[in-house]
Amino acid sequence: MFSFIKKDLLVFWRDRKEVLISLLAPILILVVLHVAFSGISVKDAGEMDLRVGLILEDDKATGLKQFEEALLEMDLREIEIDAMMEQAETLSPIGIMVKLFEDPELSSWIHTIEMNEEEAQKQIENGELDAIIKIPEGFTYDVLGKVMLDEPVETPIRFQIEEHSLETDILAGVIDNYMEALNFQFALSAVTGGEEGSEPALPQGGREVIKENAVEIELAQYYTIGMSSLFALFIAATVAAKTVTEKRERVFNRILLTNSRPFSYLMGKVISTFCMAWIQLMLVFVVTDLMLGIFPEKSTEFWLGIIVIVTFFSLSISGLSAIFTSLTIRMHNINTANGLFTMVVMGFAALGGNFFSLEQFPEWVQALSQWTPTGVVIDLFTEFSQNGNAISFAVPLMKQFGFFIGFLVIGILLFPERGKS
Amino acid sequence: MIETVKLSKTFKGKKAVDEIDLYIDEGESIGLLGPNGAGKSTTISMISSLLKPTAGDVKLNGKSTIKNPAEIRRILGVVPQEIALYEELSAYENLKFFGEIYNVKKTILEQRIQEILEMVGLKKPQKELVKTFSGGMKRRVNIAAALLHDPKILILDEPTVGIDPQSRNHILETVRKLNEENGTTVLYTSHYMEEVEQLCKRVYIMDHGKVVASGSKEELLSILSTEDMIQVTLSEMSDTVVEKVKSIKNIRRVDATDKSLRIISKKGSSILSDLIHAVESEGILLTNFQMETPSLEDVFLHITGRTLRD
Repeated sequence: MFSFIKKDLLVFWRDRKEVLISLLAPILILVVLHVAFSGISVKDAGEMDLRVGLILEDDKATGLKQFEEALLEMDLREIEIDAMMEQAETLSPIGIMVKLFEDPELSSWIHTIEMNEEEAQKQIENGELDAIIKIPEGFTYDVLGKVMLDEPVETPIRFQIEEHSLETDILAGVIDNYMEALNFQFALSAVTGGEEGSEPALPQGGREVIKENAVEIELAQYYTIGMSSLFALFIAATVAAKTVTEKRERVFNRILLTNSRPFSYLMGKVISTFCMAWIQLMLVFVVTDLMLGIFPEKSTEFWLGIIVIVTFFSLSISGLSAIFTSLTIRMHNINTANGLFTMVVMGFAALGGNFFSLEQFPEWVQALSQWTPTGVVIDLFTEFSQNGNAISFAVPLMKQFGFFIGFLVIGILLFPERGKS
Repeated sequence: MIETVKLSKTFKGKKAVDEIDLYIDEGESIGLLGPNGAGKSTTISMISSLLKPTAGDVKLNGKSTIKNPAEIRRILGVVPQEIALYEELSAYENLKFFGEIYNVKKTILEQRIQEILEMVGLKKPQKELVKTFSGGMKRRVNIAAALLHDPKILILDEPTVGIDPQSRNHILETVRKLNEENGTTVLYTSHYMEEVEQLCKRVYIMDHGKVVASGSKEELLSILSTEDMIQVTLSEMSDTVVEKVKSIKNIRRVDATDKSLRIISKKGSSILSDLIHAVESEGILLTNFQMETPSLEDVFLHITGRTLRD
C-alpha cells in the first residue's frame, strides 16, 4: 500500500501545473476577493447615502410603567421591585438607537428621519427612502421583560428594505451592532446591579428582517473556508483524473497483473488525496492569514482547532476520492465521469454553503447541508471562529469520520470486478 | 504449459476472437502473426487474465486460469502495446514501483532493477523522467517493467511499434536472449513478419479472430511449395496489362503495386514468353524479372488474400 501512496504523491508532485493550480489558485482567488471587498468598502464609503425612515412607536415612560405593573403582579417583595425598577430606569433601548445614528461617522451617510408608519411606507414605495426601521410599541417593556424576567420577545424591531444593496447590508450590520450594544449594556447593568455571575440573556429575535440577507461572520473569513474547502473537494476529482491516465495508458492493467489488491490501489488514492487536501487547506489558511490577516490575533488553540477541523475534513475528501476512482475505472466515457464529479463537487459546495450563506434558505435546505462534508466543515468553522473552544467538536467530527467510512465503503463496493474495467 | 481451448470473445455481438486453440510449451518462442484487428491483443488479454473470455478456457499446466488467475499472473510478464508507464516518474522509479507491487523482495529488488536496466541498455539514463525519453527508450522501459519478477512466460504485444531501427534491434536481441539464454517462454505478437521469422520457432497466423494457419516456419512455407513467386517491374502500369497477365495459363494470382507485378504461378510452369508477349502487346516494357523465395508474408497473403499491413 505504501508503494501506491508514494507513487501517487510523486506523480501528483511532478505535475507542476496541477500542483500550482491546486495550491495557489485558492490563495489567488481569496486575495482577489479580499482586495475586491476591501475596495468596495473603502472606495464607496464616502459616496454612500442611505435614507432611513425611523418610526418610534415606543415610549420609554409607558414601557417602564407596564414593566412596574408586571412586577407588582408577581410575588415579589417591595424592596426587590424597587431594585429592579431602579435598574430598568437606567436602560434605554430607544436612547441607544437614537444615539447610534447620531454618531458623526454614521450620520454622514445614514440619514434617519423620524416619521409615522403611513408616511414611511409611502416614501419607501416612492423610492424616497431606502429602508425603514420601526421600534414598535411595547419594545422597551418587551426588552426589559426579556432581560430581567426572561420572558419571550414579542415585539421585535422591524427592519424593512426596499431594495437589497451593499449599503443596506451595512445598515443591517449597524442594527446588529445596536443589538450587541444593547446586550452589552444589559450585561453591564446586571453585573453592576449585584447579579454577578449570571449570564445576561440576549434578546434573540430582537430584530425582524424583511428582504435582507444577513452577513454573520466576516466575509473574508467566510470565503476563506468556503473557497478552500471547495478547492479541496476538487482534489478528489483531480486524483480520480489520474486514474483516467492510468486506465488510458494501460498502467492500470499492468497493476492488475501484479495481483495487487484493489483495496491497496484505492487506499493509495485515498491517503494521497488526504495528504494533498490537508496540505492545500493548511497552506491556504496560513498563507492568507500571513498575507491578508484573515484571522487576526488568533491563539495557538485556534490554530490547533483549525488543524483538527482540516484533518477530519481532509478525511472526508479522501473517502470521496475512493468513489471517484472506482467510478472512473468503471465508466467508459471519461468526459461523463468528469462531468459527474464536477456536478457532485459543485452540489456539495452549493448545499454546503461554499458560495453563499444558507441562513435565508428554508430549514430543510439547512438541515440537508448538515449532511454534506462542506456544510459540516463550514458550520463548524463558523461556530469555532465566533465562539472558540466553547463549542463541541464531537458531533461534526464524528460526522466527517462517518462520511469518510461511508465514502470508502461505497468506493470499495463500486470497484469493478476483473475484466469489467 | 499454456493452452487455449476454443477461446472466444464477443464484443457487442461481434466476434473478436473465434474459438482459438493454441498451445505454448515451456521454453518455446511462439509468434502470433496477423494484421491490425485480427484479434491478437484480445487473445493476449484473455491469456494474461485481463479479459474474461465469452467462451472457452485458458489452461496453465492443465488447470483452468479463468476462475483463479493469481497463479498465471505470478509467472507471467506482459509487455503491452501501449507504453504502460508513469511518464512523470523516472525509469528507476517506475521499475521500483512495479517491483514493489510485484512483491519482489526488497533485498534483491535493487539488484534486479540494475540487471534489467543493463539488459535493456538504460542503466545510464535511469534517473531521467520517462516523459523525456524517445519512443524506443520508453518501449525498452516498458519491457523492463514486465521482467522485474523474473517471469517464466513473457508475452509481448507488438513491442516495436513506431520506434527507430536501433531500439528495435535492441528489443529483438533482448527477447532472443531471454528465450535462448534464460529459457523464458515467449509469446510474441506482431504484424512485422520479419520479426516473427527472426525470433519464433513456431507461428500462429490470425485473421478475423481466427487462427488460419499454424506451424513451424518451414511448415508454413511449405504451403507455397507448389508455387513459384515472380516479381516483375514494368515501364508503366495499366489495368489492361494486369488483366492480360491474369489470363495467362498457370498464373494463379497477380497483385499490382505501382509499376510492379507480383505473380504466383504453378511451380515449374514456363510463363516467361507469354508474360513478355502480354506486356509488350500493350506497348509496355518489362524492365525487371525476378524469381523470389516465399516468406511468411507470402503465406499470409496466400491464405487471407491481403497483406499483413492492410
